[in-house]
Parts: sequence; structure tokens; C-alpha cells
Amino acid sequence: MPKIAIDPITRIEGHMRVEAQVEGGKVKDAWVSGTMWRGIELIVKNRDPREVWAFLSRICGV
Amino acid sequence: MHEDGFSQALSKRGVSRRDFLKFCTTMAATLALPASFIPKIAEALEKKKKPVAVWLEFSGCTGDTESILRATKPTIAEIVLDVISLEYHETIMAPAGKAAEKSKKDVVKDLKGKYIAIVEGAIPMKDGGMYCTIDGHSALEIAREVCGNALATLAVGSCASWGGVASAAPNPTGCVGVKEAVPKATVVNLPGCPVNAENITATIVHFLTFGTLPALDSHLRPLFGYGKRIHDNCERRMHFDAGQFVRKWGDEGHRLGWCLYDLGCKGPEAYYNCPTVKYNEGTSWPVQAGHPCFACAANNNWDVMGPIYSRLPYVVGAGYQLMADKIGLGLVAAAGAGIVTHAIVKEIKTRGIKQTNETEEQKAERRIDNAEDRD
Repeated sequence: MPKIAIDPITRIEGHMRVEAQVEGGKVKDAWVSGTMWRGIELIVKNRDPREVWAFLSRICGV
Repeated sequence: MHEDGFSQALSKRGVSRRDFLKFCTTMAATLALPASFIPKIAEALEKKKKPVAVWLEFSGCTGDTESILRATKPTIAEIVLDVISLEYHETIMAPAGKAAEKSKKDVVKDLKGKYIAIVEGAIPMKDGGMYCTIDGHSALEIAREVCGNALATLAVGSCASWGGVASAAPNPTGCVGVKEAVPKATVVNLPGCPVNAENITATIVHFLTFGTLPALDSHLRPLFGYGKRIHDNCERRMHFDAGQFVRKWGDEGHRLGWCLYDLGCKGPEAYYNCPTVKYNEGTSWPVQAGHPCFACAANNNWDVMGPIYSRLPYVVGAGYQLMADKIGLGLVAAAGAGIVTHAIVKEIKTRGIKQTNETEEQKAERRIDNAEDRD
């Protein structure tokens, strides 16, 4: 039962890792993780609601 | 690269000789070089060996990649991709996983001290750097290896320059820029949110043409792109000088393209070539679109230059706006009042009253006479 990991997944925005359990050439189980976190939800706490758009629009620039 | 080979490569991508020379002209202008340098730039791009580049993405939003890839025709991206050899870029490369990582490792091993590292996104330092990992390695480990062994590192965008939005208070992941994370690296900071693609290209073109990095300021930013104040090159500057301010979103002044200072524009404190180079190949920039500048290229603008919609205090003009006010008051009053007169009268009435005693409405209407406030 080989377990493979693909990291980085390319041609996406951000960072992603996929691990897969392979049995007889078929994927039996898989785990996906986003490997980057900035905590923008914590950064916008207590800020003027009128300017929060400027922070949130920078979660993803694609 | 051989001249014919370069021209052929460009024409295959649909970039004509004329487009290419136009590009060289833009680059000379961006670098503040005289027109006599245009043939030198063209020659350098045609004949110099392509530098190998590795593009690293850390704690960012890929907006800087978009900035360079989304240019319109003749695309800067097409020319850049012919000028540099981009060996690794997660967002656009075909291989993934181990094969992708091998390309990066090969460059670091085989071209030690000869390649250019381009970094997008901040580097989280907190908790052992666990908040951004690629192939099990933290952004910090990768930056140390790749930027530490590069000829030079271009930190593109505000995040790579000094942490950007990810480092805004309370900076949950301890994000910093490349220079702070890897002090021994040779870094050029190209802040902006996103970076202006023309500044990346111009830095590379400068390197190819002269064999050196452009002159930098104390924040490691090229003087050609960050040496001038936005306020001084702003297309709405005449309205500032004339005391014509937008007071409310969508008011008459807003529709007429008046100065956005009162809505919170940070142009008087921001240094960037935004007003002259603009974005999307000279299409527009925030102030042209009717939104105040929030100093996206300034260090920690999110906390230092904020709140976005609060007016900067005490911006001193050249002094002639005061004269213009006085002349304007006479003329406009004679003509039967108007928004400018109203604002000036309001200002005279409220002069000397502390800001804290003002209502929000008064604040919004108050015309700041900076020279006199200082005195």
C-alpha cells in the first residue's frame, strides 16, 4: 500500500499538498491540505468595516 | 542570444519588431533614461544571455504574478519570458511535486551565485515557520537556500518587501520581508500591492543593459520607481492646489475628478511611480479611477498609513493654494456662492477649534489650510 505525496500542486493560487493511499493502481483514500495560512480573519478584527474590503480582496489575487 | 533567434522568438509570440522597440522605449522612460539609451536596451535584450530566474511564492495572494501575466498586448510577460529563463514558478509551471522541486534544486546547485530569485509573498517566522510550507520545507528554509545563493533577489510586491497585508497587526504568523528573513541576500525591494509589472521588467532590463542593479534608496527600492511622491505627479494635483476637494462619494466634485485628499488619500506621503506608469500598461491607477491612494507601496501601510478613509493631517502645499483660496473666495462669493466658498467659510469659522470638538459632518466639510495650521 504505497502512500504518495504531491507537494507542491502547481498551476493553482496558494499552496497545496495532496497525499494519496494507492491500492492496486487505484486511489483508496486521499488527504488534501492547504499549506499556507496568514490569519487575515484575525487581522481584520476591530478594524473600520469600510476598509476591510482592502484586506479581504488580498486573500486571493487571481 | 543571437539577434535573429531573439527576433524570431518574439515574432512567434506575435510581438513585432515595432512592438519590441516600443517596449524598449517604455523601459527607457520607466528607468528615467534619455532616448539615446533605447538602442542600447534593445541591443542588450537581443544579445545578452538570458538570466535564469526562480520565482518563489510564499505567504501571498499571487496578485504579483497576475500583475505580470495579465498585461495586454504586446505583452510585457511575453517579452519578459523571452528575456529571462524562468525555471521555476509554481503558478504557471507544468511539473508538480518532486519534479517541480527538482527544477528548483538544480538551479540552486548548478547556477550558484548566477541566477535571479524573484520572491512573491511574505515569510512567516512564527512557530518555526510552519504557516507556509512547500514540500515539507518552510518558506524560511527555502528562502535561505534559494535567496542566499542567488546573484540577486527581487522582492516583488509589498509582502515580499516587508510583510505586506499578512504582517498587518496583529501579524498572526510573524510575517516579514525577504531582507529581514535572509539578511545576507542581495535584495531589491519592489513594493506595491500588487507590484507594477513594469518595475520588475525595468529592473531586469537595467541589469541586462548595464550589468548592475539600479540605484536603491534606504528601503532598497529602486529610485527610478520610488523616488517621487505620488502627490507631486498626481493628475488631480491642480484640484488640491485650487482647493477643490471631493467631500462625499459621488458628489459633484467626485464626478468632476477633484482631489481625493479629504476622503483619505495618502498620496502626499506615498512614494511610487503609480501616477506616471499606471497599471495594466498605462490604463489606469486608483486615483484616476476615483479612489484615494492608500500608500500600498509604503512600509506597513496597513497600520501606519491607515485608516484608509481618514484624512492625512497637515499636508503642506507650496503655499500658493492659500492665495488661490483667497482669490477664489472673492470671485466665487461674488458669483453667488458655491461649494468652494461654503468650505472656505466653514474653515474660517472653525479655525482654531480642536478637531475633537468637531462633528463628523464638520470634519468632512472642513477645508484644511495647512500652512496656517502649522504656524
